Amino acid sequence: MTRVPDMDSSENGEDINGVVERGGDPDGSSGQKETSTADMLRIKQQMSNQCFEMEVHLNAGKHRRSCSTSEAERDFSDQISELERVKTLQFNQMLALHRMQMWHAMEEKIKTNDPEADALKVVNERCMAHCCRIKQIQQETRVLQDEITELQKKRLEMKRLTHEKMKEMEDLMSRKEHPDTEKYKAALEKGQANLEKYKKMSIMAQNVLRGILLACKINWLDDPKLRDVAMTLEEFPITD
Amino acid sequence: MSRLNPFAKLPGLNTASVLLVENEEHFQQSLAEALVKETSVTVSVRLAKSFPLPVENDESRPRIDLVVFIINLTSELSFQSAEASLKYLEPGYFLGKVCFMVTNARSSSVPAERLDAVRRLAASLYCPLLFAEDQTQQGVTNAAERLLTILKVAAGFVPFTSSLYLSNLTRSTLPPDIDQPSFD
Repeated sequence: MTRVPDMDSSENGEDINGVVERGGDPDGSSGQKETSTADMLRIKQQMSNQCFEMEVHLNAGKHRRSCSTSEAERDFSDQISELERVKTLQFNQMLALHRMQMWHAMEEKIKTNDPEADALKVVNERCMAHCCRIKQIQQETRVLQDEITELQKKRLEMKRLTHEKMKEMEDLMSRKEHPDTEKYKAALEKGQANLEKYKKMSIMAQNVLRGILLACKINWLDDPKLRDVAMTLEEFPITD
Repeated sequence: MSRLNPFAKLPGLNTASVLLVENEEHFQQSLAEALVKETSVTVSVRLAKSFPLPVENDESRPRIDLVVFIINLTSELSFQSAEASLKYLEPGYFLGKVCFMVTNARSSSVPAERLDAVRRLAASLYCPLLFAEDQTQQGVTNAAERLLTILKVAAGFVPFTSSLYLSNLTRSTLPPDIDQPSFD
């Protein structure tokens, strides 16, 4: 087993670079066995691939360095992401290449005027019609979507206004009694105090007048003016 | 415990050897028949139920280019047997020479966790995960075709590619929402 890689790794070194030039060499082998030249080349290619793999595995153990597990993990994930990046790049480029190839093939096909090309043209027309329709519909969708957004905005505005008005109303309702009742109360009390004062004054005056009438024994029934005055004295009760 | 070593023997000329490991020993037959129909290379198919492989065959067994674990999702034993067999392989195999093939993934009796577990296993080992349909002839042919593509690279028949290169492209990755409940 140790002999094989040594022998083959040198052959491998030449192979990777010179596999094209070597094509002319095994000419005489077609007469020797049942395998043709192409088969021989293929087998040789296969063997060189296998040897390359073995060489890789052998070399893998040589570049060891000791590092912590976390560092190894980090390196590993870095390299994995680099690999992924290159993979996606390659994939996208292949897609672009395939697209170009397809378009070129379709162009070539359409230029020739066979029935297949006609079918292709028909399909093409249909695709174009569909695309136009799609654009139209997308436009309409956009317009409708805008309208919907406008309506929603309006509704939101309405809600907000209603909310504000409700708050204002509540404020007013709770606030209205207070200032009015306060002013009202003050005025009421003042008025009532005044009323009491004047009431007392008039009662006192009436009592005095009554006293005078009784004391002087004035006949007030006959005099109409005096009678009116004496009648009003009865209205207020005698206090104290 | 003797492990299977990918580089212990010399490679065969114009030959590709594949080892199909399946616990039920059911799909591997039809798959083997489809695989040997390939004409451009000589495909040698070995069948096994599980590891460790019988010691008496060690001498006659050729160098195995690709080990395929066939897991039937309807049985838990299948998955466990495949998992247990993994430790009998040298680490050199996991650089592109191991492949997982899953059958019956569409069956409704399969719990979703099993498929997730297989996915996690394949992703942690950086191996490709293939889904195969074993009930119809067309399904078997398709599965054989896909296996042949990987096998040819592993045996060195594709120029400028090795199985390690290919494994970068065919590596199965976990979907980011694998831990969230699915919609079925």
